[in-house]
Amino acid sequence: MSELIKEKIEQTLDCPVTRRRFIQSLLLAGAVAAMPGGILKPFRSDAGIVYEGDYQIFRNACPRNCYDTCSIKSYVKDGVLQFIEGSPESTFTDGGLCQKGYEYVRRAYSPDRIKYPMMQEGRGTGNWKRISWDQAMDKIAKKILALKEKDGSLLGLALTKYSGNFGITNYCVEGMMSSLGYTTRMVGTPCWPAGIDAQNFDMGDMWCNDPEDMANSRYLILWGVNPAACSVHSMKYIYEAQERGAKVLVIDPVFSETAAKADMYWQVKTSTDGALALGMARHILDKGMVDEGWVKQNSIGFDEFADYLRKNVTVEWAAKESGVPAKQIVRVAEEFATADPATIWIGYGLQRHTNGGANVRAIDALVAMTGNIGKTGGGARYGHLYTWGFNYHALVMKQPKGSKGWTGKAGPKGEFDFSEGGAAKYSDRGLNINKTAQELLDATDPAVKMLWVSCKNPLSQDFDKNKLKKAMKQLEMVVVVDQFFNQTVELADIVLPVTTLFEEWTVDVSYWQYWLSINEQAIKPMFEAKSNLEIAAALSAKMNALSPGSCTYPTKIDTKEWMIKEFNKGIYGLFGINSWEDLKKGPRKAKVHPASWSDLKFKTPSKKYEFKSETAVKWGHKALPEYKAPRKPYAPFQLLTPHSKFGIHSQFINIDWMHDINPEPFVYINPEAAKKKGISDGDKVRVFNKVGEMVLKAKLGDNVPTDTLLMYEAWFAKNPYNVNNLVDDTSADMGAYKTGAPGVAIHDQFADIAKA
Amino acid sequence: MKKQIGFYVNSQRCIGCNTCAMACKNQYHQEVGVVWRTVYPLAEEIYPHRERAFYSLACNHCEKPTCLEVCPVEAYTKRDKDGVVVHDQDRCIGCGSCIRSCPFGVPKFNPALKKAEKCSFCWQRLDAGLKPGCVNACPTEALQLIDLETFRESGATRSAPGFPNFPQINPSVRFRAPRQPIVIRRETT
Repeated sequence: MSELIKEKIEQTLDCPVTRRRFIQSLLLAGAVAAMPGGILKPFRSDAGIVYEGDYQIFRNACPRNCYDTCSIKSYVKDGVLQFIEGSPESTFTDGGLCQKGYEYVRRAYSPDRIKYPMMQEGRGTGNWKRISWDQAMDKIAKKILALKEKDGSLLGLALTKYSGNFGITNYCVEGMMSSLGYTTRMVGTPCWPAGIDAQNFDMGDMWCNDPEDMANSRYLILWGVNPAACSVHSMKYIYEAQERGAKVLVIDPVFSETAAKADMYWQVKTSTDGALALGMARHILDKGMVDEGWVKQNSIGFDEFADYLRKNVTVEWAAKESGVPAKQIVRVAEEFATADPATIWIGYGLQRHTNGGANVRAIDALVAMTGNIGKTGGGARYGHLYTWGFNYHALVMKQPKGSKGWTGKAGPKGEFDFSEGGAAKYSDRGLNINKTAQELLDATDPAVKMLWVSCKNPLSQDFDKNKLKKAMKQLEMVVVVDQFFNQTVELADIVLPVTTLFEEWTVDVSYWQYWLSINEQAIKPMFEAKSNLEIAAALSAKMNALSPGSCTYPTKIDTKEWMIKEFNKGIYGLFGINSWEDLKKGPRKAKVHPASWSDLKFKTPSKKYEFKSETAVKWGHKALPEYKAPRKPYAPFQLLTPHSKFGIHSQFINIDWMHDINPEPFVYINPEAAKKKGISDGDKVRVFNKVGEMVLKAKLGDNVPTDTLLMYEAWFAKNPYNVNNLVDDTSADMGAYKTGAPGVAIHDQFADIAKA
Repeated sequence: MKKQIGFYVNSQRCIGCNTCAMACKNQYHQEVGVVWRTVYPLAEEIYPHRERAFYSLACNHCEKPTCLEVCPVEAYTKRDKDGVVVHDQDRCIGCGSCIRSCPFGVPKFNPALKKAEKCSFCWQRLDAGLKPGCVNACPTEALQLIDLETFRESGATRSAPGFPNFPQINPSVRFRAPRQPIVIRRETT
């Protein structure tokens, strides 16, 4: 027994990794009565595995911030998740997941999971002590009440949450904050805001064609997007189009995995995409290849745009600016204008720039002037929120009576904030999520003293990590809800273990494809993990016990019931179902025309496509999709820090199964540049700029241009690697109109490199 | 000729995502470090861009498997019905003969069990009428299950650059070479 106690203490102090200890901890957590161990030891290749009639099958969906949002079929035996597959009912997922999704079984049962509520004595010390849920809630609730007592409001309590879990019921986290009072919220999105604004200026909404409809296209430009890494299920439609004779052009500063599958690849100079699009537009104009009928009928401001092109843009200028040869621009412009239909998929990377929104508007214009918007196989594809019309029951909560809040300019709201704006006297205080560090440092009256983090890993993903660490110091309490001891948890006071997708009920949709999936609870929560909904209920119970009426969140929640409450007639109608229970048979696709804007009724003030947008002017931009010069370099190399195919932001790469495939970080450098710097393949190098520095291995390859360094964003467990040591918080040009705050110029970064 | 199934490794469609490799782990939960399927990037001498063309490889379920030849305890058998080479861990004594002799480096040592193991072609799934986990998972149909007798595809080859050529043991795998796009690099910097 003393051995057991010893084990228990060791687990409390650290996260042990051996299987024996893992099983032990399951026993301790009481999670194992009937744990057959099937999951805990590898299957053997010769074992009598039976595939039919032997499993309970559950429906799940991947809730990550990803184009694909795969529908999952989970196979459970004796209460243990055995393996998962893609749902065959979804033509998009088509029976398979991705390299990340297939890791989920290990994620659920990872010995590295945070198992209990824990408290750290001294942030960053690793001196974690296990506490009970009751103790955790008591400490948190008392701190919240003390803040309210001192400040007279709860504006000293801030929430940072973004895209770590897009399961709809997880909007309960925002709801929980509202149920406590008016609080401070980090708002905006680091992901895609400049492009959202651009598409809203041009068309009145962001609304893409069905990705499955790419197969119908005769000409595809994949512009700053790398589906071979970031949307693997979209690739089959691109191949299908190719097989039917379509041409595929990839435009990217990097020769990506997708570029290798294209018919042609253009290595564009980073952030000059607008010049390239406008150069093509000018040539199409000169050649008389504009779709005059479409433009006359469906747009305003084209004459002014044409005038701008004639006065300011030439193909030669575009070639000089972008690096793409003039004869190529001319050729592709003509091919694109004559192909019918032709489409452009606009990636999120190309708008993470100080001119990103302007670049997206220029590309939109190219698609519109060739009459390709509103057409099957056409479209300026970026994203959509067309299928997100849920009730947001978990989100919409009333503040307790007598709550005081922000009386300044009403707080901005993010693109996923579906709460109805009211005419309340007070509001939450909104701070720009893309400048989290600076905003936390600057906020006064009252200062932010407490931070709640959920569905987000700010110390990994927010910009200028050094500044953020400084800003964290002024906080009196940091509470992090997570599954792993990541870089944010390192700087937390209290950590709360949250369930994986298999341990909770929710519902999921995508911002790219048009499928709807329910997410059933397939296994009991592991260890002491709770869903965000259950955490909200637990906090409310404690708040009300200590100070009756201090929190309006229900204290008892059936998460399945709450999942059901997210559905409404609109969703049922859109997906052609009678009840949410129909989704138990598999995911369903929205009954929509494959082309967005097929009725050509745009949501702009003029109801037309607006080459000239007064709304843009109102938000401080040019009326026309004019070129905006890129950010001036502040160091010799352009530094790009995009997604890796092995992770989504800071998730997946830490799991040991992925370690077999992707064990360590690299910086990619062109061999020519490496030679000048005396760097050989595999050398340890230092990458540094005004923000900070990183030491890591160099990998030589001509996939990156000679003036560019590339390293993938990632969190490797037990490795300090973090690209945000090198990324500052400079804003993108657009985003404030629709997402509350401008985006961030993640790819407008520069650095130098030297042998370490 | 007896029926022989195999893998079709279509590099023209393969995006190197490693979904097949992870789907294998999803199915069998191998010990960390014990890998049945690996996605190999092609050397730059074969494909001129680093990490942009791939072969997804596991056991080749050879016509005349070396593992089966060298195993002292008959832990390996070749199924008559489809030619799948099955390794029986109950019989395996972990001597490592198969690991040393397989020219493709397929069998791996499981340090926890102290025995060899390798890709089973998911024969249990096959027997249940399902595709192997890796093939089922591939998002681009780059990895396919084929019947060697009936498989006909123009451009498909028995050997491939970088893949060891051992016609005498006849690995049950077919390849298709990757394509190269026209690459337009920047004129100005």
